[in-house]
Amino acid sequence: MSNSQTLTVDHDSRPVCFSTRFFRLIRQREAGLLLLISLTSVVVGIHDVRFFSVDVWRDILVRCAPTAIVACGVMLVVVTGEIDISVGSLMALLAAVMGRMLSEQEFDISCWIGIPVTLGLGTLIGVFTGSLVSMGRVPSIIVTLGLLTALRGLTTLMMGGKNIDRLPEGLTQVAKQGFLGVPISILAAAGVIGLTSVLIHHIPLGRRLYALGSSAESARMAGLSEVRLKLFAFGYTGFLTALATIVDVPRLPKIESGIGSEFELLVVTCVVVGGVAISGGQGRLIGVLLAVVLMTMIRPALTFMDIGEAGEKWTRAIQGMFILLAVVSDSLFSWRQRHSGKVHAA
Amino acid sequence: MNRFVCFCLASLAIALAVPGCTNNSPSRTAETSGENSKAPAGSRKIRVALLPKIKGISYFSSCYKGAEEAANELGIELIYDGPTDGDPRKQAEMIEQWTIDGVDVICVAPNAPDVVAGAMKEARAAGIAVITWDADGTNESRSFFVNQASAQSIGEGLVNAMLKDLGPATEGDVVIISADATSANQNAWIETMKPALARSKLKLATIKYPGENASNALADGRDVISKYPDLKGIFGISTVSFPGAAEAVEQSGKSGQVLVTGLSTPNDMKKFVHTGTVRSVVLWNTVDLGYLTIHVAKALATREIKDGTTTIKAGRLGEKSIVGDNVMLGDIMVFTKDNIDQFDF
Repeated sequence: MSNSQTLTVDHDSRPVCFSTRFFRLIRQREAGLLLLISLTSVVVGIHDVRFFSVDVWRDILVRCAPTAIVACGVMLVVVTGEIDISVGSLMALLAAVMGRMLSEQEFDISCWIGIPVTLGLGTLIGVFTGSLVSMGRVPSIIVTLGLLTALRGLTTLMMGGKNIDRLPEGLTQVAKQGFLGVPISILAAAGVIGLTSVLIHHIPLGRRLYALGSSAESARMAGLSEVRLKLFAFGYTGFLTALATIVDVPRLPKIESGIGSEFELLVVTCVVVGGVAISGGQGRLIGVLLAVVLMTMIRPALTFMDIGEAGEKWTRAIQGMFILLAVVSDSLFSWRQRHSGKVHAA
Repeated sequence: MNRFVCFCLASLAIALAVPGCTNNSPSRTAETSGENSKAPAGSRKIRVALLPKIKGISYFSSCYKGAEEAANELGIELIYDGPTDGDPRKQAEMIEQWTIDGVDVICVAPNAPDVVAGAMKEARAAGIAVITWDADGTNESRSFFVNQASAQSIGEGLVNAMLKDLGPATEGDVVIISADATSANQNAWIETMKPALARSKLKLATIKYPGENASNALADGRDVISKYPDLKGIFGISTVSFPGAAEAVEQSGKSGQVLVTGLSTPNDMKKFVHTGTVRSVVLWNTVDLGYLTIHVAKALATREIKDGTTTIKAGRLGEKSIVGDNVMLGDIMVFTKDNIDQFDF
């Protein structure tokens, strides 16, 4: 165990030159993201103070929730050195299956059966993906690229060219109004974030995932099972995708086969912008969560900025610019850190 | 390990192929109307093949209803068939098959104009008249396009519906939630909506582009409601953004204060019409679209219309104009609380 311990997240145990504990706490990428989030909020808030209303931020958090939930899983997949770009299509398939089971116009099955079945199916497909990657030794980018198309195709077949409407009243009410005033997706996201955090920091399994990602060779020599760890990471992602589907999709007016399109890109963007090394072994949950908030708040921020009709056409370009800014601010920070380090050494 | 990969890929391939096969077989048994399919050559009926984008969805089923009506009226043998999954390659196969069978007219609603263009050109080379309906194909692949509604009538129809619902003297902001910034249809409608809005007392505050993404459409709806306190109405001009905007209004508790109108099928919007969030749903009459298509097919087969013809007599629809090579169905149709339940598509 001590062997894998040395390979863990704590790459930053060397003395940090920032004097405040605050900056010791949030490291490079996180600081950049936090700066971007606050700057954007302040600029937009000065332009239009309505941006700071409770309603707006409550809604932004609701929109963050599904991305944050799934990013917790995909982050662990990336930490093991793999990637999953099929979560958007998986969400569509699970929404179609859930919709056909629960809708009053379809099979009208009880939620108490339909929801566990959806969670089970998501986990099962995740484990299947993981088995192709770990036992079949197919690169995960190819497996999940294939699934991205295959699962979307299956969704179209499942839906049979129709949209699914009329989910049970209880489910849509809970998704829209929440439980005791707190939207259910925020509660679910909080739970998943807590669970993932405990997993990473307090359970050997979490450390083993990082160990596998930083050096598969050493991990194997330390007696870790690559297959089991990867099955877990992909299965967990599948489970979380199902959870995100259950809490988020009932908010939408109908279930159509286009649900979750480009969701996989958003999740992977958040994971990478959040500072998780694509080569595996490194990355912190807090960075990923900050990236989720940043990526989600850009759309409403642009609406409140009155960028006008011509500006709206630039939405995607501006979103891309924010991704670049987040990454550039990171290297600026590390430059400063190196620079001030030299001063101290001299 | 390699064998394991092969096994997994093979099982996945089978899993994907099996539903494809089972779906294919019923679509092969074409629905025909009219009894004498093997009539002697002299008194032979005109045979028209009608190809929808997707067979089995309510939108095209309602078009088929009108087509059947026209076929019975004109004594035409109508073949209605299409892919159940909207695969344009299957559309091309069907066109090839009909070319071999030697039907008189093929009416195509192309899913991907380029994919079916080859088969359509071959059919024309074999002496079969080919037209498009519902969606246009490439220019050389067809003689006429049965156009359901002009951009002008849709754009102005949307604004008029909003003005009627709000009351013509209402002042305040309106927002358009479109599809993508590159969506050609939506952009054409927006261009005709702008001058119509300029003549009214409503001010176009902004245009949002959520793409074909339901979450984004809902989010944009919520944002513009918080952003513009004087918001009176939202136009949702795609089948994704219209229900998304209506849902946003309901979730913000603004039902009845912010009116939503737009373009979608009645089934998607019924619940919002009944809650009062939406008062008008704009679309064209799909039954009439099928009806007109068969009349155009008949006129082509009997050479009543050719290049340069400017009008066509279309049964109960009366005289319809032909602009260039577009046969215009004409006006849009507005679904309201009073009539929406009569439509099922």
